Amino acid sequence: MPDERMRTEQLHPPSDPSLDPLVQEPQRWTDRILNWAAGLPWWAIILAVIAIFVLYSMLSSVAYRRVIRSLTDDPQVSTDDLFDVVQIVGEPTMIIGRYTDETRDSVETVIAELLDTVIDSEEVTRTGFIEEETPATLTIQSDEGAFTIPKGRVTEMDPPDAMVGSDVTITYIDRVTVTGVLTDRNDKTMTVRTVNEETVTFAKDRILSQDIQTIACDRDADPNCEDREVIVIQRQGEIISGRLNTLSQTNMSLELDDESTREIRRSDVDYFNVPTLTIAVNVDMAEAAVGEGDEVRLGFAKETDITDALVELETLDEVPVPLRYADGDARVVLVPYPDIVAALEAADAGEIDAVVYLDDSLDRLAVADWVDANPGANVMLPTPPRECERNCDVTVKLVDDEVTGTVIKETDDEITLRTVDAVYIILDRDKIVDDRRMEPGVCALNNLRGCDSGIFLTLRVTFMAYGLALIIGLFFGLMRVSSNPILYAISTLYVEVIRGIPLLVILLYAGFVVSPRIRDTFGLELTDEWEAIIGLAFGYGAFIAEIFRAGIQSISRGQMEAARSLGMSYPQSMRYVILPQAVRVVLPPLGNDFIAMLKDSALISVLALPDLLQLGRLYVSRTFRAFEGYNTVAILYLGMTLLLSLLVRIIERRARLPR
Amino acid sequence: MNEPIIQIHNVHKRFHTLRGTVHALNDISLDVMPGEVVVIVGPSGSGKSTMLRCINRLETIDGGSIVVDNIPLTNARNINKVRTEVGMVFQSFNLFPDRTALGNVVLAQRVVRKRRRSDAATKAQNLLAKVGIPEKADAYPAQLSGGQQQRVAIARALAMDPKIMLFDEPTSALDPEMIKEVLDVMLDLAKEGMTMVVVSHEMGFARAAADRAVFMDEGRIVEEDIPDVLFSNPSHDRTKLFLSKIL
Ligand SMILES: Nc1ncnc2c1ncn2[C@@H]1O[C@H](COP(=O)(O)OP(=O)(O)OP(=O)(O)O)[C@@H](O)[C@H]1O
Ligand SMILES: [Mg+2]
Repeated sequence: MPDERMRTEQLHPPSDPSLDPLVQEPQRWTDRILNWAAGLPWWAIILAVIAIFVLYSMLSSVAYRRVIRSLTDDPQVSTDDLFDVVQIVGEPTMIIGRYTDETRDSVETVIAELLDTVIDSEEVTRTGFIEEETPATLTIQSDEGAFTIPKGRVTEMDPPDAMVGSDVTITYIDRVTVTGVLTDRNDKTMTVRTVNEETVTFAKDRILSQDIQTIACDRDADPNCEDREVIVIQRQGEIISGRLNTLSQTNMSLELDDESTREIRRSDVDYFNVPTLTIAVNVDMAEAAVGEGDEVRLGFAKETDITDALVELETLDEVPVPLRYADGDARVVLVPYPDIVAALEAADAGEIDAVVYLDDSLDRLAVADWVDANPGANVMLPTPPRECERNCDVTVKLVDDEVTGTVIKETDDEITLRTVDAVYIILDRDKIVDDRRMEPGVCALNNLRGCDSGIFLTLRVTFMAYGLALIIGLFFGLMRVSSNPILYAISTLYVEVIRGIPLLVILLYAGFVVSPRIRDTFGLELTDEWEAIIGLAFGYGAFIAEIFRAGIQSISRGQMEAARSLGMSYPQSMRYVILPQAVRVVLPPLGNDFIAMLKDSALISVLALPDLLQLGRLYVSRTFRAFEGYNTVAILYLGMTLLLSLLVRIIERRARLPR
Repeated sequence: MNEPIIQIHNVHKRFHTLRGTVHALNDISLDVMPGEVVVIVGPSGSGKSTMLRCINRLETIDGGSIVVDNIPLTNARNINKVRTEVGMVFQSFNLFPDRTALGNVVLAQRVVRKRRRSDAATKAQNLLAKVGIPEKADAYPAQLSGGQQQRVAIARALAMDPKIMLFDEPTSALDPEMIKEVLDVMLDLAKEGMTMVVVSHEMGFARAAADRAVFMDEGRIVEEDIPDVLFSNPSHDRTKLFLSKIL
């Protein structure tokens, strides 16, 4: 042996580094960067860059920007609408104080009303005897036990002068419900906005008069408070023009120029002008027959648009005789008059046979008014004035009103008032006794919880379903390699059955068969999202089980024997020896399945979930922009799958063993 | 000495395959005393591996009884207890490829013996030093030579403080230069008084370390004796034939 070592040393003498070809050129930093770059998954990076470029050019086009916004749940940059909450607080005094503070002025009355609905206290009545009294509390002993009640919460006590030892019936505030929007949260407190700030913006030329009022502060409630100044503005009712959609006894609906519709209550309307057609006929001519070649003379006021009026006239069913000129091919002579009164007087005199009047101004009933005012005239109205009921231009003036608030912005022609201040309530987290409801608020970068449709839903469902599918797959995969025939049979049945059914059918099963059964049997209400997650997870679990089975079986038997011979149990050997190796083997197929599931998640739209595809389809059906709509859907899916395959690559590389 | 630490009595083992039944162990009886080193030789397929694997119940037996350190190998509950007392070294090393040499030696200490991480690591480092490769603690099996891997495997088995070590042809997958480094480790172990059952055709090792040599053929123990006698002067023809082939 020593000889051998000698020989090796002669073959490789301790060398001068400069002579050794490997050490001769020390690795420079450029080489290192090149080596590192050569190892990156370049194809994915190039595709991702292209995807980003395409996305960018799409984002800079208005049409695409609109699609993308609707596919991504219209995210805001930042919001303070973190959660919609209902909290039950055990310590009501603070809120009570706030409540009484806000009940004096008309503006504050609104707040008070709102507060009434958002802060709701629960009163409890107990009967017993007073066991102990301290300056701050009363302890009563009742049938249900002893209660210590802060005196500040007592609302009623009977008798009012009860003393220690005497019987008493006492009513006090037990808990308070706060409903609102969570805007901030830290370890100690939660800030809930119970009343939203409200602002109005309107044109300054609507201001009729304005007045400054001072609201005195209630120093009894809060010694530090300051008087507030508010501005009270009398303003003219808004004038709205548009096309009339519907007109009913109570409501009207207008289509405005920007294609939006506006519902207006008739009670808010001061007046409105719709085109109204009125026909007045000379009494003598009303019964006359009109024959071929006869002349019919129609008078009109100069300001009447006679073409429109004649078109309207055609739509009338019951046209009085002289106007049925078309029947006998009568010749129509149109005679303009300077104003409507002149025309009516001409009709009275028999110079013309009839007057046609179409007007949408305040004077639109002028003909009827004149006929009313001149009962002796030789003119009659064969049909009442006819208001247009739909599809005509209309102008509505709303009633004048009054706004009170503080000015927060004023430009040359517009003014913005804050009419209602936001009301914040700070809750001590220790005092919260029940989180009745916490629902994610507005979708924004600082509140991704609130993003729950489109691409976010797709991603969330995919990640959750995949996680669940991994668990299911691992479970059934282990059963597939188990020596227990029953477990083996169960898992084989599962794999074969699920693999043989289309994923779409499995999803429909989860949504419409399994979920109602679960509700009926366990009373557990699954959301659509969970139905989708469960469907996808069970559908993919079968494939993942097979992947795990193959992975476990690819590990040589010697590994299990070595582990067992060291005294590890079967589960321990699986957990510490076989699975870590098997997982490395199955990472690539698992990654493939992940990407496949992301794409197959498009099927969940059959469960009426607003995922990426569903929103895309809705967009297309709304706007008929199929090209932009589906382009965007495809690009977003592609971008996500590319990023995921990059991620999978990175994970695979990190899991690789040194060789 | 007192009682045998391994008592094998009339053991039968059959393998049922599609092509018929193989009677791998046919009425085997063998006692091993504490501290004894027994070398088993025999032609391929004679049941040597099967017998070793029966001792720590990697195979179940069809008849007879095996008692290891007074624990009968009858039900599954005893089995992990026996296995922690019996270390096994395989022909193909069977190191865990996803753990370093140190990790291989640490794992079972942590999982089975519930030792603290630092204690297990210290013990593992000492054992790696004992088998002569302290500097390879952080290498992965794929980065080690066959001889080094086998020595890690020995350290891994020793980490459980076994009373008995089973070696199944530990050197037959190795190049000649590496065989010696593994046999040296085994020789040291034998000198320390470890009870060892070794399947090996390394005559030099057998003569130097073994107290007894056993010749098996066709599932039976044909003869046993001290190595010098068995190898140079066997009494059965089959043994002679076999020895003439391998020497
Ligand atoms: N799992 C098994 N299934 C079926 N037959 C087996 C199994 N294991 C071993 N055998 C058979 O049992 C007999 C004994 O095998 P064993 O491995 O014990 O022989 P061996 O003496 O170790 O041989 P070698 O020197 O080649 O390792 C052989 O005929 C073999 O084919
Ligand atoms: Mg063998």
